[in-house]
Amino acid sequence: MALAILKRRPTGVAWVISLFVLLFGALYLMSVVTQSSEQFGRLYSLLLAISAIGLIALVALIGVNLLRLVRQYQLGIAGSRLTVRMVIMFVILSVLPVSVVFYFSIGFLHRGIDSWFDVRIEQALEDALELSRTSLDARTRELLNQTLVIADDLANASDVDAAALLNDLRGRSSIDELTLLTQKGRVIASSEVDPTNIVPNLPNEAILLQLRQHRNYTGLDPIGDNGLHVRVVVNVSNDDAAAEERVLQALSPIAMRQSTLADSVQLAFAQYKKLSYLRNPLKYSFTLTLSLVLALSLLSAVWAAFFSTRRLVAPIRDLAEGTRAVAAGDYDKRLPVTSNDELGFLVWSFNDMTQKISRARDEAKHSQQQAEDQRAYLEALLERLSSGVLTLDSHHTLRTANAAASHVLGFDLSGRIGRPIAEISLDHAHLSLFVETLRVHLAEAVHEWREEIYLAGAGGRQILFCRGTLLARGEIGQADHLIVFDDVTTLVQAQRDAAWGEVARRLAHEFKNPLTPIQLSAERLRHKYLKTMNAKDAEVLDRSTHTIVQQVEVMKEMVNAFAEYARNPQMRPRQINLNQLINEVLDLYRGGRAGTQFKVLLDPDLPTIEADPGRLRQLLHNLIKNSLEAMADQRGSRITLSTRCVGETECPFVELRVEDRGPGIPEEMLGQLFEPYVTTKPKGTGLGLAIVKKIVEEHGGSLQAENLSEGGACMVIRLPVVFVAVHASATLPPQRGVA
Amino acid sequence: MIKQTPIKELALHWGRSIFLGWLCLHTMQARAQEPSEPESRQFVVHNAGTTLVNGVYTLNASIEYQFGRAVLEALENGVPLTLQLSIQILRPRRLLWNEEFTALQQRYRLEYHALSQQYLVKNLNSGLQYNFPGRQDAINALGTIANLPILDERLLEPGQRYYGRLRASLDIEALPTPLLLMAYLSPQWHLTSEWYTWPLQS
Repeated sequence: MALAILKRRPTGVAWVISLFVLLFGALYLMSVVTQSSEQFGRLYSLLLAISAIGLIALVALIGVNLLRLVRQYQLGIAGSRLTVRMVIMFVILSVLPVSVVFYFSIGFLHRGIDSWFDVRIEQALEDALELSRTSLDARTRELLNQTLVIADDLANASDVDAAALLNDLRGRSSIDELTLLTQKGRVIASSEVDPTNIVPNLPNEAILLQLRQHRNYTGLDPIGDNGLHVRVVVNVSNDDAAAEERVLQALSPIAMRQSTLADSVQLAFAQYKKLSYLRNPLKYSFTLTLSLVLALSLLSAVWAAFFSTRRLVAPIRDLAEGTRAVAAGDYDKRLPVTSNDELGFLVWSFNDMTQKISRARDEAKHSQQQAEDQRAYLEALLERLSSGVLTLDSHHTLRTANAAASHVLGFDLSGRIGRPIAEISLDHAHLSLFVETLRVHLAEAVHEWREEIYLAGAGGRQILFCRGTLLARGEIGQADHLIVFDDVTTLVQAQRDAAWGEVARRLAHEFKNPLTPIQLSAERLRHKYLKTMNAKDAEVLDRSTHTIVQQVEVMKEMVNAFAEYARNPQMRPRQINLNQLINEVLDLYRGGRAGTQFKVLLDPDLPTIEADPGRLRQLLHNLIKNSLEAMADQRGSRITLSTRCVGETECPFVELRVEDRGPGIPEEMLGQLFEPYVTTKPKGTGLGLAIVKKIVEEHGGSLQAENLSEGGACMVIRLPVVFVAVHASATLPPQRGVA
Repeated sequence: MIKQTPIKELALHWGRSIFLGWLCLHTMQARAQEPSEPESRQFVVHNAGTTLVNGVYTLNASIEYQFGRAVLEALENGVPLTLQLSIQILRPRRLLWNEEFTALQQRYRLEYHALSQQYLVKNLNSGLQYNFPGRQDAINALGTIANLPILDERLLEPGQRYYGRLRASLDIEALPTPLLLMAYLSPQWHLTSEWYTWPLQS
């Protein structure tokens, strides 16, 4: 846009300057024409028209400029007030001197023209003319006398004789041309000095009319280029009344010297007379030309004022617009530097300033972007963190919570943002301990704290490891407290399991070796001494060694059980049908013990699962045995086995439920049911369910024990359809097993 | 000599000068409209006609030149007047305006010779000059056009009708330049006759 204006401007200026040049040229020519009319006389009207049109064009141009300025002024456009002031100043500065010059010029002009004329000169010229006439009168009179004499000679001459006679008479006189003609103008005869001039110069009708009134004619006639001539026309008398009246004309030039002088006087007089007459028109013409020059000068000055002001104000207007743009936040605005003066420097400084601001803005934006990225990074980090992170402000209102926090606490915390943390315990009673612990520590306002919190929920016991930090205000948002907590239940459990595994392994290893020698020794003692002893001692020995051997057997079984628990055999997973496996295992129990019913609710659409069949078989044995032992004292006991498919299509699980009608699991044992050596049975090793749990975890499944409302216990086992190699302990979402 | 002029007086003079041009024109117009001077000074073509003489059409016309006082005053003061006779031969056309078949300009100059006190009439086309002792004689002579050859008969299409028309006017452009402005603005100087039309006859 700015470039377009810059390009367009010189063309417009060129047009206007051309107009000025044309106008000045026209006015110059007008002044020349006024002074010497013969040279350009015909141009005057054209020049006048050109000047008028040019001036009208200028007035229109200025009018347009003025209208634009007024509109800009009314709209309050930047620079318009300055333009108005400068235009007024320019106009005053130009109008005053030009007007003064005009005033005095007009005065000088009029006085100058008036000074050309003087009454005395006019009188002198008239006198000179009169003198010329007087001096020529003598010649005229002489010619008249001669002509009258010749006319007398010609009287009564016939038309036929007239020619010869006329020639003869002219030869004797000093007359150049003699013509005899009728009063009506018909030439009868003519005689001339110059034989080449065959056409006589005839008197006109007015002269002939005078002759017809019987008045002779004498006069000075300027004849073409031949100079002044004296013309005398007289009537020629004729005795014949019937004959046509005749006249004689004599034409004779004035002597060369006399003629020249007379012409000079005539010319000077005529010029003076004409000039004198044209005095006023000349004044008017000069005044008009001068007025046109004045108008042109004034209009040029006004236009120049508009033009130069516009040029001058343009950078200021640009600056104002630029400032507005910067105020509106557009820092990329650059103004065209059109001059090398102070204004140009100002514009340059403005551009420099906006450039710097723009750069600073970009840097700030960049920093902001970096901070944003950092924040997003931290957010992403927090979201993917397995630890729950909460931030609370000084009023214990929840400000932020990551996904892990919701996951660990078991409900969506995003709806709680901006609410007091204490409200959590209203809806989730099992979290009241968590909230209470937080409240205590927040109230203490210590810089750092940490605590383990044991929560007892519907899903079992949960151990949270909590750490809190007091944040300086403004460090992360407006949060005052940062609380990080981890669900360490599984970890703690895994540690415990690992410890038990180690115990079992050591027990098996350390106990197994001495048991066989003990048994053998006892049997040897018996074998060797039983026969040699008396009956009483032999009975004691028999009973003792029997007890030793029996107890060693029991201890061996226990050691084997521990060894089994500690054993970590290679998994051999393959596709198996769980329903089929269940039926195979149940076949071993059916009919084995009277009164025990097996109810089987197997899902026929159960998918095959990837699992180690030997391990699963042991799992089923352990569960069934556990249920049977739980109902050992009852009659008419019933075990229900059911399978079904659960879970989403992406990660399906097979669920096996084993229910019995036993006494159920004591509430206090629910949390440690699957730990080794935890049993309610007097004879159990306490490793059955621990092994079950281990097998389930080896298959990447989950295990849960619950009491049924109608009495009895239920073991819920979930195994993934696709085998996932898992080491040590593992829990599977969403169900958290009481492992 | 520029003497110190009070500003007020200067401004007054300046103002006067600015309106001088306008005043001049105004004065001239006012003078032109003086009641003593008859307004309708014009040229009149009383009659005009052509005669075929030896295969050439010759024009005979009678024109009355009426000059206003300003024009006569200029003449008396040595300003030459140029009179112009515009002669046109027209060919009528159907449904269209008349075609200008040919045109002819005759220019005459009328001036006063102070020494001889004669009025000189010069035909600017032919260069012939006639002198008249009286002004009216000269004007009358100007108004009488006799046997002015204008057209060869052979140039005309036989059977076609033709018209001649004539107009007399004062050539303002030929006046001395200082007079031009006044002549343009004053109706006294705008002297021209109506077109006089006649059928071209053999």
